[in-house]
Amino acid sequence: MFKNYIIVAWRNLLKNKTFSLLNIVGLAVGLACFILITMYVMDELSYDKHNEKAERIYRINSDIRFGGNDLRLAVCSDPMGATLKKDYPQVEQFVRIYNSNGSKMLKKGTAFIEETKVAHADSTIFDVFTLPMIAGNPKTALSEPNTVVISKSAAEKYFGTVDAIGKGIEVNDEQHTVYKVTAVIKDMPQNAHFNYDFIFSMDNVEYGWGNFLSHNFQTYVLLQPGTDYKAFNKNFKQVIDKYILPQAKQLMQINSMEDFARTGNKLEYSLMPMLDIHLYSDRFPELGVNSSIQYVYIFSAVALFILLIACVNFMNLSTARSSNRAKEVGIRKVLGTGKKLLIGQFLTESTLMVFIGLLIAIGLVWLSIGYFNNIAGKTLGITMLLKPGYLLFLLLIPVVTGVLAGLYPAFFLSSFQPIAVLKGRTGKAFSRSNFRSALVIFQFFTSIVLIISTIVVFKQLNFIQNAKIGFNKDQMLIVNGTWALNNNADAFRNEVAKMSGVKASSFAGYLPVSNSSRNDNTFSTEAVMNEKNGFNMQVWNVDYDYIPVMGMEVLKGRNFSKEYGSDSTALIINETAAKMLGFDDPVGKKLYTLVGNDNELVSYTIVAVVKNFNYESLRKNVGPLSMRLGYNKWATAFKVSATDVTALLKNIETKWKSMAPDMPFSYQFLDDSFDNMYRAEQRIGKVALSFALLAIFIACLGLFGLAAYMAEQRTKEIGVRKVLGASVTSITTLLSKDFVKLVCIASLIAFPVAWWAMSTWLRDFAYRVSISWWVFGLAGFVALLIAVLTVSSHAIKAALTNPVKSLRNE
Amino acid sequence: MIKITNLEKYYRTEEVETVALNKLSFEVKEGEFVAVMGPSGCGKSTLLNIVGLLDDPDGGSFLFNGIEVAGFNERKRADLRKHNIGFVFQSFNLIDELTVFENVELPLIYTGVKAADRKVRVEEVLDKMQIMHRRNHYPQQLSGGQQQRVAVARAVVNNPKLILADEPTGNLDSSNGNEVMQLLTDLNEQGTTIIMVTHSEHDAKYSHRIIRMLDGQTVTENILV
Repeated sequence: MFKNYIIVAWRNLLKNKTFSLLNIVGLAVGLACFILITMYVMDELSYDKHNEKAERIYRINSDIRFGGNDLRLAVCSDPMGATLKKDYPQVEQFVRIYNSNGSKMLKKGTAFIEETKVAHADSTIFDVFTLPMIAGNPKTALSEPNTVVISKSAAEKYFGTVDAIGKGIEVNDEQHTVYKVTAVIKDMPQNAHFNYDFIFSMDNVEYGWGNFLSHNFQTYVLLQPGTDYKAFNKNFKQVIDKYILPQAKQLMQINSMEDFARTGNKLEYSLMPMLDIHLYSDRFPELGVNSSIQYVYIFSAVALFILLIACVNFMNLSTARSSNRAKEVGIRKVLGTGKKLLIGQFLTESTLMVFIGLLIAIGLVWLSIGYFNNIAGKTLGITMLLKPGYLLFLLLIPVVTGVLAGLYPAFFLSSFQPIAVLKGRTGKAFSRSNFRSALVIFQFFTSIVLIISTIVVFKQLNFIQNAKIGFNKDQMLIVNGTWALNNNADAFRNEVAKMSGVKASSFAGYLPVSNSSRNDNTFSTEAVMNEKNGFNMQVWNVDYDYIPVMGMEVLKGRNFSKEYGSDSTALIINETAAKMLGFDDPVGKKLYTLVGNDNELVSYTIVAVVKNFNYESLRKNVGPLSMRLGYNKWATAFKVSATDVTALLKNIETKWKSMAPDMPFSYQFLDDSFDNMYRAEQRIGKVALSFALLAIFIACLGLFGLAAYMAEQRTKEIGVRKVLGASVTSITTLLSKDFVKLVCIASLIAFPVAWWAMSTWLRDFAYRVSISWWVFGLAGFVALLIAVLTVSSHAIKAALTNPVKSLRNE
Repeated sequence: MIKITNLEKYYRTEEVETVALNKLSFEVKEGEFVAVMGPSGCGKSTLLNIVGLLDDPDGGSFLFNGIEVAGFNERKRADLRKHNIGFVFQSFNLIDELTVFENVELPLIYTGVKAADRKVRVEEVLDKMQIMHRRNHYPQQLSGGQQQRVAVARAVVNNPKLILADEPTGNLDSSNGNEVMQLLTDLNEQGTTIIMVTHSEHDAKYSHRIIRMLDGQTVTENILV
């Protein structure tokens, strides 16, 4: 019986080639999207799961508010981990990770290479995380100073072999420390929230250890099995009272946490499950680029909707051409076939169709995975499909989709009454089916929502590009790592500044883009700091030229100047800081901050207020910030006039090589770094655009087929109308009108949904566009235009047919 | 009104060329009621299509009101057709999705009559056909005889000079058939020219003249009046 089903299904497929083609192409494209997106989603959900103890690993997060400035940190103080382990038996182990500036210069052969996948960690890292070793002993690997654990790739890169134990790697720090390789580990997986090639011993970090008030270490704890981490969070209050308050009393005259809280301040610690970090953590500083669960939801919804559009095509086309199959059903029924068997037959047909679609879809996935990886920022491989779990999932797709898509047509077709259909009364029921109208509305609803989303995302991206950010990011060349030039840094800057095409220069260790250096300090408005007058604020060390070179605007007061000998204690604050302080005229007022290892309170005088500039992503409001004179030579900024940038870069590189032959020359343009902050949004834009186009394409395939059958259904009516004198235009309008109506209804439903969805998305941005009415108009118009173009080809064809032909079969 | 001379029409399939009309000639004067008879496949419907300006002849001459229309393009034919000719079909060919009123209104829409005028004229003709009480019903809700009366109403609403009826009683029982024939006769008496294709000798008796066809040619002409 089943064999007969397959044979009949196959012959039917061949018999209606256009129909089958439309269906299979639609299904294949829909399934390809679905597979790509599920691969993406599964990858997102798989982060950090390779850790054997993943479920028991937690990161300590800190939430601090001091003087009205909120800090949501992914780091805590250096003694926190050890303290928890000492005082609470639930804590089995802890590990700290420290990567202060994110890169190191390592010597390979005679030259230094900048490596960014570097960090310092406690030797306990191997007790907490699963980092399989190729060689070496995890118990002792990082227990001594001057030791480093490297990945297989790093071993091959530096030594040409994984057999690297005992070999040395020189780091370009002040002492030119040579680290001994004590272990080689397998490369860390891409789907982890951190990924390092070099893990250095924590003993080499120079730090004022034991300070509970400085938050600089990513700290993870491994809890005993069965420990409730939410209940554990209550213990932090004890820790604060016992360890942190005494230090705070000494430094800032804070007497009790109650007083601290009463003045609107906050100090809270909490554990965050490591498995949540990738999708739920948006703190500072993160060890890698995290994603957001929001995008997982959006992508999943898009995958499902595209698959549904493809299924809807199938349902629509199958029921639309039911009149062609009605006779077959009639005959089969007269011959004694039951309804169940007919349903079985139709479901076999749909499943077969989906199966063929799936094979093509896998081919499409194979072809498009590179492009998809590119726009989604992933490194997914087609081999992912071969994992047993996924393979089973793939095989389930045709069955589930086949039934989903085939069920309605199966019931619809199998319920025909044999006598009625054999007499030719197939009824008008399916030419104007409400159900099918609903399906078309659904398809266009989805397409229009996707179009609107795409427009809004691109509008926001455009807004970001052109936003008034308070500084000039264009034609700003940043040469990285100028600190490595040591005493030559000034000479280098001066030499480059003399080159033609360079207008101005400034040391610029602190840059107004994410992932640049930051320095958060505690200030007070009075000479004795307490919980009432204390607050936190960024303080950047800049030189005399920084503010003019960056194009920042001084609103009140003056820039730092060599004419004033007292400017070493001058401070320039931004508008937010000025507002927070509440002074009528901040210029001339004094602020106090703790300086140096002795935590000495030093006074600064405010000399100017600068216009707010966005130094973090536009998702965030501008926080309080101050600048003082200093020389942070980590990087140097050059304002260039771009006539021949390539030649200029070459000159600068030559200059660099002459001063530091063994150091890599590395540069960036500030506007590129600025754009990098919005890479996630750019990705979402491209992904939304791609899938919007595909959704529309699939919907149009369906509409194309549907219009063909509708025109066929109404052949006689068109004939009659033509006999009565209808023109081609009026017939075309008549046939397109129904679809236009459906698209209009779809628009009306899609508008509020899209508005809601995009308003929610935009809420993440402190600075955002408004969703103007023309976006909806445009989306509706595009959908309508596409629908009309798709339908009208059939309509015109039908209208041009000689009515004699359509009326002949009487 | 109609003068046909040596009219020719061929149908070509991939291999065979069938002659539908073979140098057919005849004439219909204004005010006449002519029945065309003959066995299936003799070319009756082809003739009616050409006379109805739905189809173009392959040869010969066709004068409509003294104008040569053989060789007219589709647009010119459609223009001439909608102002001058009404059609009545065997299977009524009413549009199921439209009401009685809307069906009858259709030809007026296509000739560009204003809505207010349309209402008057449709109601007038529905009244004349005695189906005014069914104006808001759909075709499926009517009997065969009523449907054909609607079809006749639709054919005459534009006051055409010529009505072409293709087996108008073929789908009706005898009493409904007679009613429809009486309607056509009344129209003819009011001056409308009628050409009717029929298999029924009984219906043919309502006409003034019977043209008998065989293999695309006229064989005999009986004058009945």
